[in-house]
Amino acid sequence: MRENGYLPIRDYAAIGDGRTVALVGLDGSIDWLCLPNVDSGAVFARLLDAERGGSFQLAPAEPFEAERRYEQGSNVLQTIFRTTSGTTRVTDAMTLAPGETLVPQREIVRKIECLSGSTAFTWSIDPRFFFGRTRTRIERRGRRLIACSRAEALALGAWGAGEPSASETRMDGEFRLRDGEAALLSLTAAHHEPAFLPGRDDTEHRLRHTQAFWPRWIGRARYEGRWREAVLRSALVLKLLVFAPSGAIVAAPTTSLPEWIGGERNWDYRFTWLRDATYTLDALQTLGYEDEAHSFQWWLMHATRLTAPRLQVLYRVDGDVEADEKTVDGLAGYRGSSPVRAGNGAVKQVQLDIYGAVMHAIWLHAQHHGDLGGETGRAVARIADYVAEIWRQPDSGIWEVRSEPTDFIQSKAMCWVALDRAVRLAEAGFVPDRSERWRAEADEIRVFVDEHGWDQERGSYVRAVGLRELDASLLTLSLMDYTSADDPKLCGTIEAVRRELAAGPLVSRYRGEDGVRGDEGHFLTCSFWLADALARSGRIGEATELMDQLVDLANDVGLYAEEIDGESGAFLGNFPQGLTHLALIGAAVSIANAEDAR
Amino acid sequence: MSLAGAIVGGVVGTFVLTSSLRLMQVLGITRMDIPLLLGTVFSEDRRRATAIGYAVHFANGVVFSLGYAAVFSAVGQAGWLFGGLLGVVHAAFAGGTLVNILLPAVHPRMGTPWTDAEETPLLEPPGFMLMNYGRHTAIGTLLAHVAYGAIVGGFAAGL
Repeated sequence: MRENGYLPIRDYAAIGDGRTVALVGLDGSIDWLCLPNVDSGAVFARLLDAERGGSFQLAPAEPFEAERRYEQGSNVLQTIFRTTSGTTRVTDAMTLAPGETLVPQREIVRKIECLSGSTAFTWSIDPRFFFGRTRTRIERRGRRLIACSRAEALALGAWGAGEPSASETRMDGEFRLRDGEAALLSLTAAHHEPAFLPGRDDTEHRLRHTQAFWPRWIGRARYEGRWREAVLRSALVLKLLVFAPSGAIVAAPTTSLPEWIGGERNWDYRFTWLRDATYTLDALQTLGYEDEAHSFQWWLMHATRLTAPRLQVLYRVDGDVEADEKTVDGLAGYRGSSPVRAGNGAVKQVQLDIYGAVMHAIWLHAQHHGDLGGETGRAVARIADYVAEIWRQPDSGIWEVRSEPTDFIQSKAMCWVALDRAVRLAEAGFVPDRSERWRAEADEIRVFVDEHGWDQERGSYVRAVGLRELDASLLTLSLMDYTSADDPKLCGTIEAVRRELAAGPLVSRYRGEDGVRGDEGHFLTCSFWLADALARSGRIGEATELMDQLVDLANDVGLYAEEIDGESGAFLGNFPQGLTHLALIGAAVSIANAEDAR
Repeated sequence: MSLAGAIVGGVVGTFVLTSSLRLMQVLGITRMDIPLLLGTVFSEDRRRATAIGYAVHFANGVVFSLGYAAVFSAVGQAGWLFGGLLGVVHAAFAGGTLVNILLPAVHPRMGTPWTDAEETPLLEPPGFMLMNYGRHTAIGTLLAHVAYGAIVGGFAAGL
């Protein structure tokens, strides 16, 4: 199952509590967990260093086969372990707080139940706080074991799981369960506060409460179209990526999972990208999650106040604008793919497309709520004024290339989207009306795109001025109503993307240079965008066929990474990837809408 | 030491404090918006919340000036310098405890570090020394409170 200590990325499933996310391997090892928050230092990072990363392992002591699923409509994971002597179910969850009771800051609960026969288990907790940069001590408090480092602590609760033993830096145990017996392990985290030492009943209560919450939450979803299971799973993934204290949504809960094994395209995605705002708000509102959409909109307008009218590419989940990129020394990287990075250098880039994404998101929100608020309206108008000033600048584009900024056509078109939505907002009375100027600049952008971004020979838009090559991000012109979806130029671009960038259902972002060495996989979001664009242009059959193929590419529990290796089918890049799941929802909804309109 | 002077100083000091924080917002130094933070305890409507928030903040300013007056009275001295020193303590309390911990604990629309997936707050928590609203918020808050304290101290001393 493991190769040199590493599991395939698709062998992981995610559990979380709205503050942080843990990745659980098919072999029962929790190999990724940042504490206290999703963007904090990792305490389990075996994902990025099989030897020194740290993990929470729990598995049968004898050879086993494992299969797993999420509980129905839930982010609580069940893994069934089968050995020659018995069958056991492990339920993994990060617990939520039931009401006004005293609860731990963060908690992982692992419940082990023997379903038949008997099975011997071993477990081992090897915490490495702050990516292993600080020393871990294991201390005893009465019968309890606590792992400490600086002002962080992890307290262990073990019931029916053997007598915990402690070495200098890890906690271990072994036990045997017989038919009908159950054991429970709880790991509670304390950040700058006393550790919480729950009893078994309390822990079981929190687990039951958590198990009850998720189906209740997903039960609010309004979606009855095709691929319902995949759409609802994607909604559950998005909910895991929402940082509940602020309403922000991280792109993915991991850092530095490589876009190519052994390559250096390893980025930290534990931030909120404004680019994703459109898709996020659209998905949440379409599925009926008004509260989450409203919360994200508030976060969006507050987080951007420090830099507005200039928008930063990404923000921390707490709204902080600092995200300087650093190398995390001491971790080998997933299968030797180094460096491991914390922070993201894209924070300092100019990416013009985000203005279109944000303005479209605001337009969606205003339509839905019927109001923006005066101060927000004025801020939005200032952003539109700013776009009218700067759209001629070169930028790093949607793909955050690390080569020199250039005039990306998709960026220019998204500036048109920004100004078009500003005009619509003004006409609807949501923002101060300076639409004459915005409309004039939007017209100029359209002329620019047609003059410099259209390749008559190829019959499609191209990546950038002077770069006569294709870029799958041009599919978003269809998604953002840059022009009507059956416009010949858009249809030509869709065809060209299929011809030059697609291999079966898989689509590459582009073929040209981007300032980073090495190869990368196929970008799953682009595949879903293609399905979306096909549906919007009326080619519902092709969109449906493509969607069927793409839905089959998910892992065994319905999750997607950022990219996929076309030859091996291995997942690549950070996982689970919010944008991929957002694009899946968007494509499914577009196909459903197209079918309804037919 | 004049109690009436301290109260008037509280009103003037709050005006200066609020205006200076607002100026910092406009200059892009901080995202902290005290009237909005306070007002959204009572209303989700931004306009109404901001109006309520200003009223609450001015009331708080007067209440705090009474605390300053009590300290001046107990110590037996008042003045802009001593008031400014109390402003440092006030800023540390406001940034470290009052707005950082107590406000999120009672605010129905603000997240806390304990907020989990079951909740969808509308306002991000301020963080230690309010630095979630921008790294320079701490120093701005300190200077604004020093100004407030100095004004209360100065008015209380009859300057």
